[in-house]
Amino acid sequence: MNIVLSAIRNAVDLILPEVALLATVCMIFLAAPFLVSERGEAAPGLRHRWGWLSLIGLSVAAYLWSISEIQPVGLGPFRLDGLAWFIRGLSLASGLILVLVNWNQAEDARAGETQACLLAIIAGVNLVAAANDIVGLFVALELISIPTYIFLLMPRRDALAQESMLKYFMLSIFSSATLLFGMSYLYGLTGTTHLEGIYASLQAGQSQPMPLLVTIAAVMMIAGLAFRLTAVPFHFYAPDVFQGAPNSVAAMLSFIPKVAGFVALYRVLAVTIPSGDWSMLSLSTPLLWWLAVLTMFVGNLLALLQNDVRRMLAFSSVSHAGYMLVGFVVGDAGTKAISGYDALLFYLSVYGAMTIGTFATLAALSTSSRRVSAISDLDGLSQTRPVIAIALTFFLLSLMGMPFTAGFVGKLNLFLVAWNSGGDAGQWLAIWLAVNAAIGAWYYLRLIREMYLSDPVTEVGQEQQPAVMVAIGLCTLATMGLFMMPEWLWQAIQKV
Amino acid sequence: MFDWLQQNVIWMIPAAPLLACLWIVFVGQFARRELAHRPVVLALSVSVLSALYLMFAVVPKTFVEHHGEAHAAHAEEHPAEHAAAEPEEAEHPSEAVSALAAVEPSEEGHAEETHAAAKSVTFLVYNWFDVGDMHIPVLLRADAMSSLMLLMVTSVSLLVAIFASGYMHGDPGYPRFFAAMALFVFSMCMLVLAGNFLLMFVFWEAVGLCSYLLIGFWFHKPSAAAAAKKAFVVNRIGDFGFILGVFLTWTTFGTLDFQQLFEDPTLITGVAHSNPAIFTTICLLLFVGAVGKSAQFPLHVWLPDAMEGPTPVSALIHAATMVTAGVYLVARCAPLFMHAPLALLVVSIIGAITALVAAITALTQYDLKRVLAYSTVSQLGYMFMSLGAAAANPEHLMQHAVTFAMFHMFTHAYFKAVLFLAAGSVMHAMGDIIDMRYFSGLKKALPITHRTFLCGALALAGFPLLSGFWSKDEILSVLFAASRTSSPYALAFSIIWAVSLLVSLMTAFYTFRAYFLTFHGPERFPEAAGHHPHDAPPAMAGPLYLLAFGAIFVGLIAGPTHLYAHYLHQTPGLPTADPHPMNLVMMGLSTVIALAGIGMAYALYGRGATAPAPDAPLSPAAAFSYNGLYLDQLYLALVVRPLRGLAKLSETFDKQVIDRLVDTTAAIPALVGAVIRPFQNGMVQNYAFIMLLGLAACLMWVIQAVAG
Repeated sequence: MNIVLSAIRNAVDLILPEVALLATVCMIFLAAPFLVSERGEAAPGLRHRWGWLSLIGLSVAAYLWSISEIQPVGLGPFRLDGLAWFIRGLSLASGLILVLVNWNQAEDARAGETQACLLAIIAGVNLVAAANDIVGLFVALELISIPTYIFLLMPRRDALAQESMLKYFMLSIFSSATLLFGMSYLYGLTGTTHLEGIYASLQAGQSQPMPLLVTIAAVMMIAGLAFRLTAVPFHFYAPDVFQGAPNSVAAMLSFIPKVAGFVALYRVLAVTIPSGDWSMLSLSTPLLWWLAVLTMFVGNLLALLQNDVRRMLAFSSVSHAGYMLVGFVVGDAGTKAISGYDALLFYLSVYGAMTIGTFATLAALSTSSRRVSAISDLDGLSQTRPVIAIALTFFLLSLMGMPFTAGFVGKLNLFLVAWNSGGDAGQWLAIWLAVNAAIGAWYYLRLIREMYLSDPVTEVGQEQQPAVMVAIGLCTLATMGLFMMPEWLWQAIQKV
Repeated sequence: MFDWLQQNVIWMIPAAPLLACLWIVFVGQFARRELAHRPVVLALSVSVLSALYLMFAVVPKTFVEHHGEAHAAHAEEHPAEHAAAEPEEAEHPSEAVSALAAVEPSEEGHAEETHAAAKSVTFLVYNWFDVGDMHIPVLLRADAMSSLMLLMVTSVSLLVAIFASGYMHGDPGYPRFFAAMALFVFSMCMLVLAGNFLLMFVFWEAVGLCSYLLIGFWFHKPSAAAAAKKAFVVNRIGDFGFILGVFLTWTTFGTLDFQQLFEDPTLITGVAHSNPAIFTTICLLLFVGAVGKSAQFPLHVWLPDAMEGPTPVSALIHAATMVTAGVYLVARCAPLFMHAPLALLVVSIIGAITALVAAITALTQYDLKRVLAYSTVSQLGYMFMSLGAAAANPEHLMQHAVTFAMFHMFTHAYFKAVLFLAAGSVMHAMGDIIDMRYFSGLKKALPITHRTFLCGALALAGFPLLSGFWSKDEILSVLFAASRTSSPYALAFSIIWAVSLLVSLMTAFYTFRAYFLTFHGPERFPEAAGHHPHDAPPAMAGPLYLLAFGAIFVGLIAGPTHLYAHYLHQTPGLPTADPHPMNLVMMGLSTVIALAGIGMAYALYGRGATAPAPDAPLSPAAAFSYNGLYLDQLYLALVVRPLRGLAKLSETFDKQVIDRLVDTTAAIPALVGAVIRPFQNGMVQNYAFIMLLGLAACLMWVIQAVAG
């Protein structure tokens, strides 16, 4: 009995921040229904309280994270290695900003559950990174997906939101099934669900007589996770869902699933098998290479044609998934100082700041009755909301990869590692990356042009939303700061 | 005081305009908007003075007199002496004057001839990037070449800013204009001062962005917005090549630092021995960047359109400074290009084609600013022709090639700026009309403009003893020298030399065609000008006179006195060469050509002839020239449409294949369909189906790879 208890305690010790987050979630879910009348009305301003409560929950989690230390990987269900530590910090930071963006998105009566879903999603990302077992990994991924379904519908319940929720729901289940299928093969091959056990088994070459099974496992898992990364051809949901989803959810969807997807992909795939001339990664690298190139091109080319801001940003998110895949394909290779994974983590962090910032500006411009949807809604924004126009321009320049924004440094790293990874494949990848960065400039520039070089046509929201403005400020600071002092993030990444 | 200045003057040059920009953004645009020019003029005055001080007091301290091998070897053995000679260095480790002096082994017979590399002044702002073996500091670095360029940039900027305070008076975007201009000067100075390739690239992009902002300044004009976009997109193509070149440099040499690359010749010669082919690739990629920024064929199409911006911007960015960044880049990288004669030949050929194409186009333009724009493109072509001339004999000709290209850039900045500003003055007086078919005979109405324009036009045409004459003459003579070598490229350079003579003739002709059409003939004003057009006010006249003075006399620093060349020779990394004698035959030839061109223009347009009516039909040859050899149309057909087509194709796939699939599956009244039908007719099935197809394709492909 004592052994069991101590095992549980050891396990929980590794996931204290998530425990704090989930405790906050439970508290909100339990308390929220009692604060809403039978007619579904709540005291005005209740959403502020939920917002503050979520911030407190996140702060406690962040505190627990800051005092946690990287532990050697054991046999328990969780691990706290460098990657888990880094991802936890990243997701808590983005969670903080997302709570601010989400502040006014739902009406008072539903704000509690909305914020709680968000916190559950953040906890899910942390657990993906902390899982030491493929079952745990899958459950953690579902802890992201299931609250997302509710999150999609909570703030707004119009037809568009319902449609996007349902689409996401169906396709997400489809992708989870695919992932699970691949995982079951992996289990069949290695006889264990424990990640370290799987690595050991693969490295021992037990599955070498069955390369086909390994292949199927790898492809299935890539396909299942590619949905979360919005990699082509598993990206189809993105534009529809982004278009219909509330801004805070779109901000979350453009970033959080990518974090979880890449971490999960790293956990299940990035194990090299020294014996023999093949490995799970070397089998899948050509596939991932093509996925990266296709994703970049399809994302950028289709973004050129969009007339809806959120659809365009969805395709932009697709293309950025392609850029990040470049880092993944390069993998351990790269320059002496930076590996592909390092560049990927750097870009992921930078992308989080700029994409959440972009959606936050859209949230700040929307009113309860009307959202910014068509690109022409941004016409003349520099005259009607100059501060927001400057911030949005800054984020778009960063997405473009222009100097003086973190996006430049991020793309530079990716380019550098791809170029130096050795071999033609890497250099071609670098060239395609550069070509796509050039194509991408075009449609971001279009938004900037509308904002600065046109006269206002439609009215945009004028109400002051302090929480969202703080979120925009934080994202701007991050985007600017990571250009000026990339060192800062590098030091954290070097710990991974 | 002077010690402090010695150390710190270098950062004051870019910092002053940056401060001015920030001042306008945070204060100036809210209070006293009409005085927004003051901080900029003040800041630019500081920059000019700093640049002068840097050029005459700080940089010369780094020069090394080279009188032969003994001294050079001595310098190489005792670099510490140099360090000791600078006592401040120990106190300010971050502001070290680098003391890299080394012997450059020559490859051919004259192995004795060694020289100590000159040094440079550096200032470390902070360590930007420091990961593992990658160290990329924000490092300012000045040597002879950059200090000359800085002087040109800051002085022309100052004069243009003063001019603009009169020209832009009353514009609603007055503070915005000056903020963008200050930002531009900051970025340009940083580009010139950048101590490594990456920093240079950062500001290379930044000047492009400023140029975008300023071309689109009058964004209410759709043509201005379109031109801004075109400039940006075309420049991205060039930047793409530039960044590839930078990365190849990094992988080849392991450093992006100019100091290490250019002041320590062992690094480059080492690679030149082990992998000579790589130089051609690196240099060609870097040159692609230069082609974009300096508007060379085939990427020259953006520059004429960029004339949609306010005229002072055209004068500053699109004539005098930013567009010369490409020339500066190639000149800066001369130590690399030295080992890539083939790349140099390409540089020269592209320069020749550009010069010719642009000159042909300029012959028939009616928009005064477009004539000047094409002439800018053409003159930039001259500079590249000169740079490339070294291909014939890199050891001997590189220094002259670089010197003369930079010298032409220097003189060109002044006379082209005066031409543009005078054209701006015409536009100002004519109520924003610049088409020469609507006015003529402005000589009496606009005497100041007329006088200054004439100075600029004479200089551009290469009239004897004016600045353009000296610099163009030097370029012709270095091309001639290249064609007289025994290298296999000699024939190519004979042709390029002939082209340069032809272009020289056309230059004189189109410049004076524009001059005669504008200022001579019967006096006519467009309706927009009112009855009494007024000449330039003092704020505009002053800079015009000063620049005209420059256009006449600035050439004297190189032509007869060789001051310029002796200064530029001190650039680290440039090979030494024998002094270049003045070629009197060439001078006579170019005098004849210039006078012939002016004479032809006089014969055709000078005797009271006016331009045809705006709607008069053009002959086929004239139309060919007028439309810029139809290159824009060609690009539309070859590049823009296919790209658009590709995007359309993806969309069609999305719409046709996927939507069709939806339609077919929706025909099967499935259980799921009933749930989903209210929401967009079962699109999701379609999406899922495509995902399934994708998955199957991935599986089959990988399985086949494993099995096969």
